[in-house]
Amino acid sequence: MNCLELRRAVMVDPRRLDTEALAHAERCDVCRGFLADALELEAGLDAALSVSVPHGLKERAMGRARDDPRLSRRYALAAGLMLAIGAGTTILWRQNDPLALAGIDFVVFEESQAILDAKPSDPDDLARVAVQMGINLPWQLGELRYIGTCPFAGTMAHHVVLKTAYGKATLLLLPGRTQLSRAAAVARGLEAVVAPATGGSVAIIADSSRSLARIEESLQNG
Amino acid sequence: MLVPGRNAGFELAVNAYFNDLYRFAYWLCRNRWQAEDLVQESLVRAWRSWQGLRDERAVKVWLFTIVRREFHRAVSRAARPEPVTDADDLASSADMASGMDLTRALRELPDDSREALLMQVLGGFSCSEIASALGASEGAVMTRLTRARQVLRRRLDPADARGMRQA
Repeated sequence: MNCLELRRAVMVDPRRLDTEALAHAERCDVCRGFLADALELEAGLDAALSVSVPHGLKERAMGRARDDPRLSRRYALAAGLMLAIGAGTTILWRQNDPLALAGIDFVVFEESQAILDAKPSDPDDLARVAVQMGINLPWQLGELRYIGTCPFAGTMAHHVVLKTAYGKATLLLLPGRTQLSRAAAVARGLEAVVAPATGGSVAIIADSSRSLARIEESLQNG
Repeated sequence: MLVPGRNAGFELAVNAYFNDLYRFAYWLCRNRWQAEDLVQESLVRAWRSWQGLRDERAVKVWLFTIVRREFHRAVSRAARPEPVTDADDLASSADMASGMDLTRALRELPDDSREALLMQVLGGFSCSEIASALGASEGAVMTRLTRARQVLRRRLDPADARGMRQA
């Protein structure tokens, strides 16, 4: 490593220098001074960014999250149903799968921002991931409107938006996120399934069960 | 009624990261009141999706991503008012003249550079994690971080900036 390379590394992240960079700084007086200045700036940054957190804000924020009316309604419904079970009533109710529900929430609340934020994605990357996961992406699925990657449920998802004959649909390919069996959710006017795939899973979110079934069948059969 | 395990996990994460999340929100908005709204709304969204989250290692970057998305959503909904300096916050965060200069310089950084720098310093994230969260390439993040530090150094010590340009 030379002086120029060290200075570039310091300007990117002076707190995470590798051993080679640190060894160079040990040997070179000028670079040692440069690094010392940079670390002084970092200490100043730490102090400047440490604005005081308003007293009680954390508790207020937690309370507001817990009292979210959408969730309150959901839990109230669940409580009512549990009561009915206790009374021996036959309940034909199935709980939404959390991951499938997260897919619906993603489409409703986050998809548009994810598309705005994303960098252009290479269709070949998507094709490669699909092959690795044993998923077919045939042209009959519909018109490809968007491909990209985005954080979803704690992992990086390959995000695909399609215009199908039955309306808009979203696919989230989730390599590394294994799913033992097919799961589903219905919420906010959308339906979602999460299906197991090789080494991961795929979430499909659409506004009709017809569209969902057709896409799921196409992904399996090609 | 909450599912205890789910509730406890969420509380643990909020307890661990709340201060950093608030500070991230504050420096995105550059206004205390907007930051309070932003962090509260972000936690509501995080709680809604919490059950679907399985990779605990990704919790922190996931929460930061939610705050950032909420911020941009709020900005797109309405024109952001001109940030108002919070004298209390500045006084507590920067006691010396150089600290004040640094605080002003941070406020004046371009949005994309400031976001990357905040995620690195407050979140402790690597360039790769920042790139994933921002939907940018790792190279672009490195450029933003370098530019941010160049601006800060130039602001604090104009003579030093000449050395930086040579680097």
